[in-house]
Amino acid sequence: MGVLDTHELKAKFIQAVLPDILNDWEIDEIIEPLHGLPDSALNEVFRQVTAIWPVSHALCNNFLHAVANGLTCLHHSQFGDWVKAILEAYESGGLHQARQLLERVDETFLCSMRGETGISLAEVAGRLQPYATGLAGYPLALTAGAEIYTDTAAVYLPSRIAILPQLAENFLLYKLIISFQWAFSAIGTFSLPFSEISPAIIATAKRYHAAVPPEFSCLSDFFSVFPNPSAVAHLFHLGETARATSFLHKTLPGLMRESIPIFQALAQDILPNARCATAHLQRTIFSHALQDSRGLLPFATPIAIQFNALFQHDKSSYDSAIFVVEAYDWFLAQAEDSCPPIIFQGVLRPAEVLAVKRKKMSETKEQFITALAAIIKAQSVQDVPYDEKAYPTPSTSFSDLETQTGLIIPPEKTGPPPKDTERQQEKTIEFITIDDTRIVLPDEVKKLAREIIDDFGQIPNQYISSAKQAAGSALAQGNAPPPQDGEPLGGTGLYIYDEWDYRRSGFRKNWCSLTTKKIIPVTGAFVGNTLAKYKGHLTRLKRQFEMMRNQERFVRRQKDGDEIDLDALIETLADIKAGLSPSEDLFIRLARDNRDISVLFLIDMSSSTEGWVNTAIKESLLLMCESLEILGDTYGIYGFSGMRRSRSELFLIKGLDETYSEEVKGRIAAIAPQEYTRMGPPIRHLTTLLAKNDARIRLLITLSDGKPEDYDDYKGDYAIEDTRHALIEAKALGVHPFCITIDKQAHAYLPHMYGEVNYICIDEVRKLPNRIPEIYRGLTS
Amino acid sequence: MKNSIIQDYLVTEMPFYLEQADELLIARTAFNNRLPILLKGPTGCGKTRFMQRLAWELARPLITVSCHDDLSTSDLVGRFLIKGGEAVWMDGPLTKAVRAGAICYLDEIVEARKDTTVVIHPLADDRRELPIEKLGETLTAPPEFMLAISYNPGYQSVLKDLKQSTRQRFVSFEFNYPPAELEATIVLEESGIEQPLAEKLVRLATMTRSLKDSGLQEGASTRLLIHAGKLIKSGITPRTACKAAITETLTDDHEMLAALEEMTSSLF
Repeated sequence: MGVLDTHELKAKFIQAVLPDILNDWEIDEIIEPLHGLPDSALNEVFRQVTAIWPVSHALCNNFLHAVANGLTCLHHSQFGDWVKAILEAYESGGLHQARQLLERVDETFLCSMRGETGISLAEVAGRLQPYATGLAGYPLALTAGAEIYTDTAAVYLPSRIAILPQLAENFLLYKLIISFQWAFSAIGTFSLPFSEISPAIIATAKRYHAAVPPEFSCLSDFFSVFPNPSAVAHLFHLGETARATSFLHKTLPGLMRESIPIFQALAQDILPNARCATAHLQRTIFSHALQDSRGLLPFATPIAIQFNALFQHDKSSYDSAIFVVEAYDWFLAQAEDSCPPIIFQGVLRPAEVLAVKRKKMSETKEQFITALAAIIKAQSVQDVPYDEKAYPTPSTSFSDLETQTGLIIPPEKTGPPPKDTERQQEKTIEFITIDDTRIVLPDEVKKLAREIIDDFGQIPNQYISSAKQAAGSALAQGNAPPPQDGEPLGGTGLYIYDEWDYRRSGFRKNWCSLTTKKIIPVTGAFVGNTLAKYKGHLTRLKRQFEMMRNQERFVRRQKDGDEIDLDALIETLADIKAGLSPSEDLFIRLARDNRDISVLFLIDMSSSTEGWVNTAIKESLLLMCESLEILGDTYGIYGFSGMRRSRSELFLIKGLDETYSEEVKGRIAAIAPQEYTRMGPPIRHLTTLLAKNDARIRLLITLSDGKPEDYDDYKGDYAIEDTRHALIEAKALGVHPFCITIDKQAHAYLPHMYGEVNYICIDEVRKLPNRIPEIYRGLTS
Repeated sequence: MKNSIIQDYLVTEMPFYLEQADELLIARTAFNNRLPILLKGPTGCGKTRFMQRLAWELARPLITVSCHDDLSTSDLVGRFLIKGGEAVWMDGPLTKAVRAGAICYLDEIVEARKDTTVVIHPLADDRRELPIEKLGETLTAPPEFMLAISYNPGYQSVLKDLKQSTRQRFVSFEFNYPPAELEATIVLEESGIEQPLAEKLVRLATMTRSLKDSGLQEGASTRLLIHAGKLIKSGITPRTACKAAITETLTDDHEMLAALEEMTSSLF
C-alpha cells in the first residue's frame, strides 16, 4: 500500500476543491492531517471533499482532521455514509452538531450503522409526527431539544434515544414520551384552577411566611409560594404523572400494554436509595403503569394513600395541588434530594407554556379583530346607503363608540354560576351587538370568540373597538388587501429550494433561494412588427390550432347512446330483410374530449441569449401566445436567470390564470438577457405551480440555448445532475418536462438530462418562431 | 305493472338512523311543502342512510342515482331503444320517480354532466315539471314526488362546484360526522360491538380526522368505523380489523400508514 507524497496530496486536493483557488500555505495547513494515510483511503477522502467543500470550508477542515480518527473504526468504503450523516447533521444543527459525528464516530455514527440500539428523532418523526397531531387534534410539533418537556405547541425530545437494548423499544419509548407529554396538556396540568385552590395557597403562604402573589398566571406562581419551589414542582409533577398514567390507561390502553417491558426496564433503574425521597412515589407510578399491585406495598402512610388516590379517574390538577400542599413537609423531612424524573415525565416548564398561551391569545386576538373588522365593514357598506342613522360613520370619535359597544351573549342566565359542563354550552356566542346593530358571527369567528371567552371569560371591549377602528380605517383607505395564506417566507416572495448533489447522492438542504420578479412591460414596435412579419404564418397556425380544439362531437354507430342513429337503423333493417346478421351499433353518442392541458413555458434569460437568440425567442413566444389563445389551453410563461445560489430569479411574463393582454405582450417584448442559467430552482418552482393545477396533462416546456451553468460551482456534471434530478421530481409530481434547445452540442447531455424523447434541438435560430408552435402541436395532439 | 316495479324501491324495514339535530322534521316539512332538498357533507357520514330513513318515514319509494361524469340527461330522463326492429321508449330513473310519485335521490350531483341541470331546474322550482324532449311531453310531478340531491363540498374542485342557480332551489342540510357519543352509539348499533370498543373506534376516527390536510385527504368516516366494527364482531382482532377497514382504506402512503398503525396500536 503506497503512501502519497506531499506534492501528490496537494495536487489531488487542488483538484477536489476546484474552482476555488487557495494559497499554497493554506493547502499545506489543510492537508496536514492527511500525511501518512494509505492512498486507497485518501482517494475516498478526496472524493468526499468534493461533497463537503462547497457546503462549508470549515466543516471540510474539521473532516480532514477527523479522518485519521475515523479510520480507526471505519473502513474507508463507509466514508460515503459517514459524510452523508455529517452533512445532514451540519445542515440541521450547524458545525456543532456535525462535530459530534466527526469526533465520536463510534457512539454517534457507527452504532447506528450497526443498527444496534439507538434511533434518532429524525428517523421516527415521519411516523410519530402524524401520531402526535392525531392525538392532540392540532399540529403538535416534535422538536429536538436538550430537555424533554412540552409547551403545549410542541413536544421537545432528545434527538436520539439509545437507552434500551432494542431498536423497537427505543422507538416505543419515543412514542411513550410523546403520549405522556401530550397527556399533561390533555389532563390540564398547565391549567390549575387558581380560584378554587386559592384558600389552600393562602394558608400555605401564611405557614411559610411567604407573600401571596397578587395574580396567578402560571404554575410557577403556585410553586413559588413554598420555600423550596423546585421540590414542589417535582412533587406536583409526580402527582400529575400519576394522573397522566391512569388517563393513558383509559385512552390509550394498547400503548400502555405494549409499554410494559419499557416500564419494567425503567423501574429497575430506580435505585433502592433511601436518600432519594421520591423513589417510593416513582415506584408507585410504575406499579400502576404495570397494573401490578405488588409495588404499592412499601408504605401505607396518609401521604401514600393520598398519592394512590390520584390514580382514580375523577381527579383533577386541583387534587394534585392539594396533595402537594399536604405532602410538602413530609417530603422535605424525608431527604434533601429527589430522584431524577422518570424519562417520560420530562420536566415542567410553566413559563414556556404561558408564553405559548400568550402568543396564541394575541394571534386569536388579531384574527378575531381582522375577521370582525371585515364583517363590520361589509355590514356598514351595505347599511349606509339605506339607513345612515342606524350606523354611525367611522368618523365618530372612538370614545363615543366605546360607550355604545355592547356584547350580547345568549341565552340570558340567572341563578348561581353554572358548572363546567353547563359552561361549555352556554359560552357559544351567536352575535355581537355594536351600536345597536346586531352582527351575526360566521362559524369561524364564533370559534375564535369562544376561544377568547375561554381565556378571559368575556370578549374585552378593546377587541371590538380595535375591530371597529380597523374597519373604519379600511373603509377610509378603500379596500385593503386581505392577508393571504401560503405566502412564502412571511410574504417576501422568497422561496427556498433544495439542490441535488450527485456526489453525495443527497440534497443540499435549503440551498437555493429564488425570488419572483415582474418584468416591466415596454411599449414599442416589436409586437406590431412581429405580428405583421408572420402574418401569413399566423393565419395558418390559427387555423391549425382551431382544428385541434376538440369539443363535444357526436359519435355514430355506437352500442349505447342518447339517440337512435337512423342511418344505422335503416341499414340494419335492410340487412335483416336481406337475411344478413344485423348490426347492434344503432345509437349516436355525444363524446367529449376536452383538451385538459396546462402548460408552462420556462424561458432561458441568460446572458448567452443576447442578440438573435433573444429576438427569436420573443417572436416565438408571441406566435405561441396568439395560437394558444385560439386553442384555449391554460398556459403561463416565466423567464429565469440569476447569479449564485442565493439569487435565482424568476421573471413572471404571464401567469397561468392571467389573460393575454397588452401588458403581457409588453412583457414579452421586454425580455432581455440577464445573467446565468441555474436551472434547478426555477424548474422546482414551476413544478410546484403546475402540481397545484388540476389539468389532466401538465407540461413544462423549457426553452434554452445551452447547458445549465452558474457563476459558482453550478456547472458541468453537477449542474446537469441537479437539473436532471429536478426534472425527475417534476415527473414524479405528474408534470411532463420537455426541452427545446438551440444548442448544437445538446445531443451530448440532453438525452441524459431530459430522457431520450423529451427534447428537440433546433439547428437554426431563425427557424425557432416557425418551429415552436409546430412542436407544441405535435406534443399535445 | 308499473306499480309493481316501483314497489321494489320501497324501503320496507325501518333503517337505523340517529338524528343529529332536527333534520328529519325539516325534511318531512319540506316534503309536505313540495320543496326539494340538498344534502351536503363528507363521504360516509350518513347522507344516504338519512334518505332511506326519510323514504321509510314518508312511505315513498326511493330511487337513488349515483352520478358519474358521463351521466347525461338521457340517462336520467330515458331514451329510445331498439327492440325487434321497433323503437321503444324506456323511462329513465328520474321519469320513473316522477310518474310514480317517488323520491329521486341524485347522489354526488356535481359529478354529472352540466346538461342535467336542464331537467333538474324546472323540477326543483315551483313548476315541478319534467320536460321529456324526445317524447314531446312534459310531466307534472305529483305531490308525493320529491327531488333530493347531495354533494361533498370537501374534495370537489372549483370546476365541480354546485352553481348558485342550482343550489338556490333547494332546502339544504349540512351533514357532518356526528358528535363522539352519538357516533359511538351508531357504530355500536350498526355493528353490534361493545360500547368501549365503539368508543375507541370513534377516538381513532377523531385522530385521523385531525390529520385532514396534513397528510390525509379525509379522515375516517362513520361508515369505515362500522366496517371495522363488523369485522371485530365477527372475531377479527381489533388491530387487524382497523388496519384492514380503516388505515389501509384511508391512504397508500407508507409513512402515513405507519403513523396510523401507531394510533391503532396505542388505542387497542
